[in-house]
Amino acid sequence: MALDRQRRKILKLGLFKWGLGSLGASLAIGGTNLATAQWVLDNQENRRQWFFSAVDDLEGNHHLAGIHRDGSEHFLLPAPERCHGGCLHPHQPQAILFARRPGRHFHVLDARHHRELQSIDAGPGYHFYGHGVFDPSGRWLYVTANRLEDAMGLARVYDADANYAHHHDIELEGIGPHELKLMPDGDTLVIALGGIKTHPDSGRIKLNLDDMDPALLLVNRHSGEIQARHRPSHHQLSVRHLDVAENGGVIVGYQFEGPIWETHHPLVARLDPQGKFHEFDLGGLQPKLAQYTASVAVSQSQSGSSSSALITAPRGGRIVMLDQQSGEIIAAPELADAAGTRCDGQGGYIVTTGNGGLYQVSAQGELTQLAKLPLRWDNHLT
Amino acid sequence: MNGVVSMNSMISLNCPRAVAIACLSLISLSSQAADTSVTPRQQWYQDIGALYTKLAEATGQLQEDATALCSAPEANSEHQLRSDWLSAYRAWQAVRFVDFGPIEVNSRAWQLQFWPDKKNLVGSRVKTRLHQDTQISKADIDEAGVAEQGFPALEVLLYDDGMADLTLSAEQPCALLQAISTHLNETSMTLVTDWEAFGDYYQSTDSMTQATLHAAMQTLETIEDKRLGEPIGMMGSPANAYRAEAWRSDASISLIEASLQGLKEGFLPGLMVSLDNIDRSDLAQAFDSQLNKTIKQAQELDGGITSGLEHADAQAGLTTLYMKVAQLRQLLNEQIASALGVVRGFNSSDGD
Repeated sequence: MALDRQRRKILKLGLFKWGLGSLGASLAIGGTNLATAQWVLDNQENRRQWFFSAVDDLEGNHHLAGIHRDGSEHFLLPAPERCHGGCLHPHQPQAILFARRPGRHFHVLDARHHRELQSIDAGPGYHFYGHGVFDPSGRWLYVTANRLEDAMGLARVYDADANYAHHHDIELEGIGPHELKLMPDGDTLVIALGGIKTHPDSGRIKLNLDDMDPALLLVNRHSGEIQARHRPSHHQLSVRHLDVAENGGVIVGYQFEGPIWETHHPLVARLDPQGKFHEFDLGGLQPKLAQYTASVAVSQSQSGSSSSALITAPRGGRIVMLDQQSGEIIAAPELADAAGTRCDGQGGYIVTTGNGGLYQVSAQGELTQLAKLPLRWDNHLT
Repeated sequence: MNGVVSMNSMISLNCPRAVAIACLSLISLSSQAADTSVTPRQQWYQDIGALYTKLAEATGQLQEDATALCSAPEANSEHQLRSDWLSAYRAWQAVRFVDFGPIEVNSRAWQLQFWPDKKNLVGSRVKTRLHQDTQISKADIDEAGVAEQGFPALEVLLYDDGMADLTLSAEQPCALLQAISTHLNETSMTLVTDWEAFGDYYQSTDSMTQATLHAAMQTLETIEDKRLGEPIGMMGSPANAYRAEAWRSDASISLIEASLQGLKEGFLPGLMVSLDNIDRSDLAQAFDSQLNKTIKQAQELDGGITSGLEHADAQAGLTTLYMKVAQLRQLLNEQIASALGVVRGFNSSDGD
């Protein structure tokens, strides 16, 4: 009974916020076309001026943050919970940040005026996993979620044109979907299915490490059909993070959930544009990564030369830059607590750390510190 | 707590504090003198391994006594079983600070102790289990959720008011008792063998030094904030005995004392080597001294948090313990951590 009351209360709170938020959203959407055009320009990878992330301050309070690409400016918005990944609306000046597993909200930010527009509740019986992605039109937002009654992994679909009303769910026939992206065809979602079962009643305890069944999924976003399911070489290799190259190649980061002293398991895999899935052997570097990757970014440089991928490994205190086709290591400098990363649009990357650092990584893998703030940059950079 | 004071605490109780420190320093110095190449990780590896062995022995005894009680209830006492349960639970507390390596596999720490349990999952799952139609088997418990697999589930059987009408040696309670104790013993024995398998990695991987220091820091933080602070009302909400561990058996303080003893046996010697290496044995001595004072304060409290909150004197004793733990934490997490260059990673310690 108490639980029901609690749920109703949460639901009401969610609706209340939703109502207020929608007012803000329609004001923002009603802005000039000029602003929108500017956003589309700014949003192109090589001109991105602002990046977004969840952060904690040194007192442990949670915020949503934006930081200018040169580190010269940043803003913080208080958040009720720790957040995780995010995505940008392709046509509106909006950034979305998602609550961290097993969080129940995602937050819509006005990326130009630095304020929160809306907070959307997962609804009773659901929680989010911390990631989402828009379709090319910007109308549909796909968010990875858990349906608690049967632990079914979902992509929940929200209608951005209707103030992010929930529209329908795509069932993923598996447990624990995590990061997802859209393939260059605009129709296929590529989804990292982590395979780990959790339940909010028991917090973040992993409940099924014995019989995990992780995979990289390709899913048609219109029909919901699962077109491919690529399983890693070991059932405890949780498929967590990924990024997609312009040619359709996908780089995938794993986290190994088995004994830490088993250091021979691969941590990075690639789905090539022809649909072949294989894992990279990082040789002597592999044991140094402590079986954990935090973020993956693939360079979107137009230069035409072979492009790279960047993988952050905070438990190993390193970042790894690879040739994204051959898996050959370009550079693997030490960088303490490095986690968030995005490509900078010029063949390099921006990296954030839990110590407040913002770094630029050149195409050759050289690190330059851009800023150091009294903040803890959380897992992902958007 | 009476009757379960370990050898180490006997030393600290029987000697004046200064002598005890001198003794310990000599022990650590002499072991170094014997083998000057001993590294902090070698020391920790050996001491933590010994704690896992003790846990396996204690859960083995618990399992034996559960079997004995069930096969011949008249000749074996429930009292003995309760005492074995507490000894084994304390053996787990002693090594609970280790949050890396074999304990991470298959959420084993949660299997041993599901806590905090704000929704009383343990209580409700155990009651449901007792009412299942079929005979309770070990397989039932091996496949069950972590709430049914550990020391708290046994505590419900042994101490919960709702069990008062139940005969412990009756068929279903006994089957459950044996299934949980066997599961606990098997998990503990696997920890011992996996700790061996982990040896090369632990001793050859530099980041494991930080992991070990973090583990001890985290443990003191948890004792101060969660295991003591919250239930006794120091964390901004009123005191609430149900927030304590082992509130049914009133063993919460005994468990905290066992955790502190575990730091003394499994963490302090390696820490001493670390601090000696940077010529800061003064910090090691300060930590040892504060740890001894804190253990002594825990031993002087008669009962646990549940009973303690009902008496003003005992409440004052709990507050004193809380303050001593806070000082100990400050010493380790600030002065010692900074002297050893420990940096706590945000994403490396709690990512997703």
